[in-house]
Amino acid sequence: MKYGFFPGCSYKGAAGYKESTEAVSRLLGIELVEIQDWNCCGATSYWSTQSIEAYVLPARIMALAEKQGLSEIVNVCNACYSTLRKAQEKLAQDNDLNEKVNLALAEEGLKYTGNLNIRHLMEVIVNDLNADDIKKHIKKDLSGFVVAPYYGCQLNRPWADIDDAHYPVLMDRLIEMVGAKPLKNYSAKTECCGAAHMVAHKDLCMPLNNRIVKDAVSKSAQTICTLCPLCQFNVDASQYKSGLPMVPVIFFTQMMGLAFGLSEKDLKLQKLLTPFKLAV
Amino acid sequence: MMTDSVLRDRFFKKYHGQEIENCIQCGMCSGSCPLAPHMDFGPRQLFAMAREGDMNEVLHANTIWLCVSCYNCVVKCPRGISITDHMYSLKKMATEVGIKPPKMLHLYRSFNAPVEKNGRLTDVMAMAGYGLRHPGAAMANVPLGLKMLSRKRLELKPASVKNIDGFQRVLKKAKELERVS
Repeated sequence: MKYGFFPGCSYKGAAGYKESTEAVSRLLGIELVEIQDWNCCGATSYWSTQSIEAYVLPARIMALAEKQGLSEIVNVCNACYSTLRKAQEKLAQDNDLNEKVNLALAEEGLKYTGNLNIRHLMEVIVNDLNADDIKKHIKKDLSGFVVAPYYGCQLNRPWADIDDAHYPVLMDRLIEMVGAKPLKNYSAKTECCGAAHMVAHKDLCMPLNNRIVKDAVSKSAQTICTLCPLCQFNVDASQYKSGLPMVPVIFFTQMMGLAFGLSEKDLKLQKLLTPFKLAV
Repeated sequence: MMTDSVLRDRFFKKYHGQEIENCIQCGMCSGSCPLAPHMDFGPRQLFAMAREGDMNEVLHANTIWLCVSCYNCVVKCPRGISITDHMYSLKKMATEVGIKPPKMLHLYRSFNAPVEKNGRLTDVMAMAGYGLRHPGAAMANVPLGLKMLSRKRLELKPASVKNIDGFQRVLKKAKELERVS
């Protein structure tokens, strides 16, 4: 299966996200075609400061994908995913804005029509593949491995159309499909990690992260599984020198890789700040 | 300083703020907001003030800058108000009227500057810009930075789009359009 792929700025530097995504996609026969010459989506920073540029940045990415003949854009970051969707939604409603955005894109010979599906890789794997296509790659028994599925905010909010806004289950299903145990009563699964506010307001955001970690630790999860580089970084880094009980924070693609028998080294688990050791 | 009524008019018309007339003051937004306890006013109260036209007070409140874009309030609002978007509008208006830039605006500017220049961002570039303005925060993050470095997690080379001339022409045009609108 072939999809357009928008890696976003934080993908490459995230702890093993790139390596595990590439390895798992190869095994599953998912071909991720990178959008040529993509730019930063702008994220919350541009929504907070610019009226037109905030749309031009995501529209350029989508226009480049259209030029490459791609009909779907797969994201691996919640913020990229929601930024592209938000821009697409507003541009479909506002002709004047759409015209301005296209005037700007014309400077580079690009045109945005918006005729694209914006998706997240985790959802693509669960919805587009048969469970058997995933299960047939399982090489390692993870039945004793308890995984807390942490979704963060911008995958299911504000739209709540691919899953529930507060108690999503798609990643729970994925964890089950690869033979591990999703933590069933993980009430912090969609609580906010503080996102970029962790930089400027660390004191206010630490309690949010502590809650996400504590809820997983106290319910005996062996790892927290994430699907966004910023969520992963905040929940992982907040444990550094916190003095509280720790739990490793991995990407869903690393969890799949473990089940598929890939080594911890291949999945770059040594890049995590909170050390990971599989004990099942 | 712009008067409250001019600002209210600007918020309601240019920034589509008239949607908050639908607010029934139920407080679901403030109740679901992760950082509401630290805000000068929760979103419910902020919208009540904006409706009454206390716009200077609204634009000087820390509320708008503490919105983390988690969209908890938006999915809870029984009136379907796009609360997060109004927070974005109020941040832009506060910047226009020249409030003393809060830490989050410094952070946004440190994020935007390398994007404008190169089209892409690395954490190191955004943090370097912010660290120059807030050396205390930068110093406090040195141990974590070193740990990231030892795990080869820091991208020290700036990232960039290839067609940087084209990208910058697009942004320049967007800026022109922003100025006239």
